Amino acid sequence: MAYQTIIDRKPSTYVARAAKHTALWLALAFAFLPLFLMLNISMKSNAQFYTSPFGLTLPFTWSNWVKASAIVTPYLANTAVVAISSTAMTLCLALAAGYFFARVHVPLSGFLWQALVFLMMLPAIANLTPLFILLRDMKLLNTLWALIFVTTAMGEAFAIFVLRNFIEELPQELFEAAEVDGAGHFWQFSRIVVPLSGPMAGAVGIMHLLRAWNDFMLPLVVLRDPGKWTITLGLMRLDGEYVKYWGIMMAGYALSSIPIVVLFFLTMRLFIRGLTEGAVKG
Amino acid sequence: MKARKIPLNKVVYHKEIYLFVLPTVLLVGLFAYYPASSGLVHSFYRWNGAEISEYRGLANYRELLTDIRFWTSFKVALLLGLVNVLKMIPALAVAVLIHRVRSPRMQYAYRVLFVTPMVIPMVVMILMWKFFFEPTSGVLNQALRSSGLLDLLARADAWFGWGVFSHFANPAWLGEPALAFSALIIWGFPWVGTFAVLTYLARLQGIGEEIYESADIDGASAWTKFLYVELPLILSMVRVNLVFVIIATLQDAVLVLLLFGPTGGPGGVVQVPALFMFQEAFLMLHFGKACAIGVVLTAIMFVLSKLNERFVRIEH
Repeated sequence: MAYQTIIDRKPSTYVARAAKHTALWLALAFAFLPLFLMLNISMKSNAQFYTSPFGLTLPFTWSNWVKASAIVTPYLANTAVVAISSTAMTLCLALAAGYFFARVHVPLSGFLWQALVFLMMLPAIANLTPLFILLRDMKLLNTLWALIFVTTAMGEAFAIFVLRNFIEELPQELFEAAEVDGAGHFWQFSRIVVPLSGPMAGAVGIMHLLRAWNDFMLPLVVLRDPGKWTITLGLMRLDGEYVKYWGIMMAGYALSSIPIVVLFFLTMRLFIRGLTEGAVKG
Repeated sequence: MKARKIPLNKVVYHKEIYLFVLPTVLLVGLFAYYPASSGLVHSFYRWNGAEISEYRGLANYRELLTDIRFWTSFKVALLLGLVNVLKMIPALAVAVLIHRVRSPRMQYAYRVLFVTPMVIPMVVMILMWKFFFEPTSGVLNQALRSSGLLDLLARADAWFGWGVFSHFANPAWLGEPALAFSALIIWGFPWVGTFAVLTYLARLQGIGEEIYESADIDGASAWTKFLYVELPLILSMVRVNLVFVIIATLQDAVLVLLLFGPTGGPGGVVQVPALFMFQEAFLMLHFGKACAIGVVLTAIMFVLSKLNERFVRIEH
């Protein structure tokens, strides 16, 4: 009987295996289509695009990339300033706050924690209108500072959740030994927590950086002056041009994706860690 | 180790610990809690953001309840939420298939390959799809035309009388009210480009090898293994993700804004709540009413999060 089943299974396993790989490659082909077309069209002049929109056309119009990079670079620079500053700020504040929640339970701890849990449920988008008024009254409209502060404030809850957990799981003996020697909280934080936090802070940081990079509604509301626009707004403008230069548009899309793609592949392991931490805690 | 409770008489000794949380309290208080409460208060006011600010009780909410666009936007969001839940299926299927690949090297290769298109920033992806939907030079219509599917659709149209497809004109996916929602369904095909694939895969790979071996000894087919080993795990993940997907859909304004513009498509047929709020605030300058929409959104989100907590708790 058992022998029979093994014989029976062999051919079907082969067929199943082929079907499995075919399905995966088919899904991949479709998933890569936007990427392929983006790169392909980015090397076409408008004339080439209208004669053959999707096939390969020679010669490649490399000048599209030059023109697109002149358009996109300032936007990318603004985005980098916002995303990097906000990530640095989030990590500093959230690591310290995580230490506060993880190490001791003092009056207000419980209340502040509840406030943080509530913040996680608060949809950022619902805050947009009153936030706009607040930023206007603070004279922060049309500044990158506004984006940095608000992105940090909205991203902190998640970061504190993960980092608190991380600090709680550090070996307790480290802190005890330090306390026996009379070390205060600042010493413990800067000599124990900060040096050990590297990988976890990296995971949280990369998640925050990507979110800040892709933010759209907040910059849309805050930034008036095109010279201060972040990349997402810049891309919208590129798409909204009345006369479309498809090649330049696609080169712009590709150029604005490159930093994120490179960053992602450099930090993939950290990113997946952040993702699973978030999935467990979220 | 959990935080150690400090007795009240020792708190003074630990007072410096408050400095650790102070910057966070200030920042979050100013840029998250203050606007949220100001929004709640102003939802009861007629407010143009500046001089006119007049208490009007529940009038903003009453206006919303009688505003057809408000109801449309929630209907669209609800349908879109359901669609997005269904769109989780391909990602799950891909995760299972990759998990089933025997050779570790191929498995790794597939993982890297599937991740690559996901990394493209969301805004770029949406704009690429906007280009796909272009009536004349878009990929979708060209594919429909050259594959003969457009003829088929036109014939079906003549039969059912939709009045949307014809042999002579290209369907305007983003301009035709009857097609706008279909565009929101189609976009992102084959819907495997979510990071969820990675989390699903990580969970699946937590299934011990010995479970598969014992299933093999019992002569379980691939289908049986799927049904009894992988599906229960997947269903638990889907349950956790379900509410997250709906919450994310409710909050999202960018997809519709980029594909259709701030008014939510032809005649506002695909307007979503978040974008409706944006439109009321920044195009109509009805800040009070926009705040009321924000309050409604927050309330719904709060209920959904609570529901989700219960779902997840049941599972443990």
